[in-house]
Amino acid sequence: MSSFDSKETTTLWQRWNLNSERIPDKDAIVHWNAGEEPIRWTFKKLTNTAKKYSTFIKSAGIKPGEVCAIIIRHNPFFYPLYLGVSRAAALPAVLAYPNTRLHPDKFRSGIEGMSQRSGLDYILTERELEPIIRPLTEKPGSTIKALLFPLEWDLKKEIDTNINEEIEIAANKVKGSDPVLLQHSSGTTGLQKPVILSHSAVLKHIAGLENALNLSTQDKIASWLPLYHDMGLIAAFHLPLSYGITSIQIDPFQWVVAPIIQLEAISLEKATLCWLPNFAYNIFADKIDEDELNEISLASLRLTINCSEPVRSESHKKFIARFAKYNFNPLAISACYGMAETTFAITQTTPGSTITELKVDRTKLAQGFVEITGEGINARTCVSSGKLINECRIRIVDDNRNDLPGDRVGEIAVKSISMFDGYRNYPEKTAEVVHDGWYFTGDYGFIHNNEYFIIGRKKDLIIVAGKNIYPEDVESAMNLVDGVIPGRVIAFGEEDEQIGTEQIAVVAETKAEDDKERNNIRLAVIKAGMSIDVNIHKVYLVPPRWLIKSSAGKPSRTTNKERIISRQDKLVWSR
Amino acid sequence: MISQELKKVILTQLDLDDFDLQDETMATQVPGWDSLNHVNIILAVEKHFNIKFKSYEVLRLKDVGDLQKLVDTKTGK
Repeated sequence: MSSFDSKETTTLWQRWNLNSERIPDKDAIVHWNAGEEPIRWTFKKLTNTAKKYSTFIKSAGIKPGEVCAIIIRHNPFFYPLYLGVSRAAALPAVLAYPNTRLHPDKFRSGIEGMSQRSGLDYILTERELEPIIRPLTEKPGSTIKALLFPLEWDLKKEIDTNINEEIEIAANKVKGSDPVLLQHSSGTTGLQKPVILSHSAVLKHIAGLENALNLSTQDKIASWLPLYHDMGLIAAFHLPLSYGITSIQIDPFQWVVAPIIQLEAISLEKATLCWLPNFAYNIFADKIDEDELNEISLASLRLTINCSEPVRSESHKKFIARFAKYNFNPLAISACYGMAETTFAITQTTPGSTITELKVDRTKLAQGFVEITGEGINARTCVSSGKLINECRIRIVDDNRNDLPGDRVGEIAVKSISMFDGYRNYPEKTAEVVHDGWYFTGDYGFIHNNEYFIIGRKKDLIIVAGKNIYPEDVESAMNLVDGVIPGRVIAFGEEDEQIGTEQIAVVAETKAEDDKERNNIRLAVIKAGMSIDVNIHKVYLVPPRWLIKSSAGKPSRTTNKERIISRQDKLVWSR
Repeated sequence: MISQELKKVILTQLDLDDFDLQDETMATQVPGWDSLNHVNIILAVEKHFNIKFKSYEVLRLKDVGDLQKLVDTKTGK
């Protein structure tokens, strides 16, 4: 029976407050830092500190409905700050802290593009970024009203009771249909699509997830997922906070260097749930030394949920083979399908059941038909992303958006009670993808026996380790590389089976004819990728006029990718 | 100072002919050395020198100079 009543409170702040009254001393968030004692925020301490932050926010002149971009590294005070922004009825928007390889100009132009599109009003960040961001606030026409450094605010100061009272009154006027947060899709140059979600969308979504995951108040989530990503923000942050369960938050930068940290956290805190992008299963299975696993037990884990990039059967098998002896239950392997536009998940596999895998004829699948076949060279294993979550709907449609029957491949259109209200300040993009209440995802998939299988994308989006990369971003950076013919470059995702994800490949036309020159161009291409914080895994150089154009007159990513992958053209140079 | 031996292991793993690796060079400054590749480089260094790093030792590395020192400690240099 469901215990989470999404209508019990109107807003998220009210929900968090209710949890603070009901379970004041329960851990809300355990802030994990490798090799250190974790910092524990109980529900009461978290909301009390959030109240303080909200008074600072109001004192800084931030008004209800204004967007506060938060750019802060893994820090224990991030959480009450986020809640404080929400209590002040402003909209938190978590943005990624720039990697040191990202060129400051690129970071600045990304923020600028985002601020123009999303209408960022304030940036809450660390002092270190001031020299990079400050010029933006001083630019004529900037939407950014101020740059604030909340980690320097004095929390020891007594709370201003008058301001606190005013905030409480304003917070009680917020309606469920009012926006509560803003999320961005990935991308580096302003292609990000700002998604606004309402209080009621998030609360209804949590009610749906409770059912789909058989959640209980005993559950605990261990996560290293960045909070600027929908899976991290909704599944590993909002869900536990509103549902009243503990989440353990691990630094993503630490996890990728030392993934053992998450296994230690699971083992020590007896975590029951974690969401992981597919590549993480490979990293866990292949990159941790046996000696480090001595004291690890994964017995508490009842679900690891694979989401955010294509689900690969091999990755699951590797993980089970490696961790069965560390008490991992193979039935804990699970998957879901979701996106920011529907708050998060639309489908989920049944907890405690073996995940369905189908072996289908690869050629028929490419033609749009699902034909079950046995093992064989032409068989492709498709892994289920589960069944529909309560009050979510899916249609599989053809290119004209007409419905297709089961076992036919088409674009996935979704509808749910926790849908977004359109892209902020982007009506033309919203109109392109939303029709009659249905969101057309651009993903390809099929339905078989009431289970949904996601097999590809209509869009050319590249997903590297769960991070969405737009090929346009990569190509525009490559067009500036000396030796590359401008406008004659494509970027695409190339399968990396070892890591279980896609990696970025670039094909560029060049007049260079000797190896030395080509090697220099290759290095320059990789460095151009670094400047926008993407790693170019493979560089293919081709002679002028090699790239085939699409009907739109631009080099076709799909056709040229196929030519490259077939590896039959001797004119292609790579190493 | 970075030994030629360590430099060669790193550059081979990154498929680079040459790159000026100094003590203070950070991974993010080296073409191709991203977070996904980091683990592979560490594994290649371990294999080449026949040593084992603990995850927490790797986490503390700030630059290539730190990696060299760790290799030296493990190999008894």
